[in-house]
Amino acid sequence: MLAAGGRGIMKHYAVVHGPNLNMLGKREVGIYGGRTMESINADVEAEARKLGVSVEFYQSNGEGELVTFIQQCRGRVAGILLNAGAYTHYSVALRDGISAASVPVVEVHISNIYKREAFRHVSFIAPVCLGQICGFGAYSYILGLRALIEERLDPWTS
Amino acid sequence: MKSFLVISGPNMNLLGTRKTSIYGEGSLEDIHRGLQARADELGVAVECRQFNGEGEIIDSLQSALGRFDGVIINAGALAHYSYALRSAIGAMLLPCVEVFISNVHAREEFRHTSVLAPVCVGVIAGFGKKSYLLALDALANLGSA
Repeated sequence: MLAAGGRGIMKHYAVVHGPNLNMLGKREVGIYGGRTMESINADVEAEARKLGVSVEFYQSNGEGELVTFIQQCRGRVAGILLNAGAYTHYSVALRDGISAASVPVVEVHISNIYKREAFRHVSFIAPVCLGQICGFGAYSYILGLRALIEERLDPWTS
Repeated sequence: MKSFLVISGPNMNLLGTRKTSIYGEGSLEDIHRGLQARADELGVAVECRQFNGEGEIIDSLQSALGRFDGVIINAGALAHYSYALRSAIGAMLLPCVEVFISNVHAREEFRHTSVLAPVCVGVIAGFGKKSYLLALDALANLGSA
């Protein structure tokens, strides 16, 4: 079932956190929960190991740095798990960077953005992503990783 | 054992026979089989239903409390305009996860808004039939993370 781990070459994914996510667990815990970014990363790492893939982590507060990182994922990683934070809602540059990277990207959010301010209801990056997962706290990342790994959870095709 | 209700809305009974480039080749029965297998793995129960009628979905949601621990809903086109469905979800006092097979944000503008999303725990969109399985993972995990 875990085909990704059974092919000899371990697939590699990038987990990218945008602005202010380095403050997780320290700011607005009512919205974002008490978990730190480091503890979420540890969960993702454990899930990756279970799924037989490898992951690397990147966080930046800078839009330009995120664009550069995503560009450089081209041809290097099998997919990107991206929580772009507030840039989600207005960064055309990030959207173009995702398109240019030609790498499947899954958009994740800790909170349910549709329960919040109207400006958060629109995602500029969603149309160029594979899909979106939001509202499940730190578990959004776990679901996002499972979503990225195509071979998993496909009982209807077997 | 936790038990979850899975509701698919209008036209989902036609999965596999229409717009397969958007919705994929598998049928709704394939999805239900996949959910059953995943539920067995997770040690939970699922009951899967499909309705074309808005009223029937509302009836089903209203009777879910006490029988189920949560709901997965793919309301199809109703997601984008059914305030009656939104009220029913808001009233039912059970966690609800909204799913879409396609990436609704990559499609027509009227599909970019879900009137149900604000009363759901969260949304999973764009992963084909896998969206349902991930929603089941999410519901089964609620309260434990």
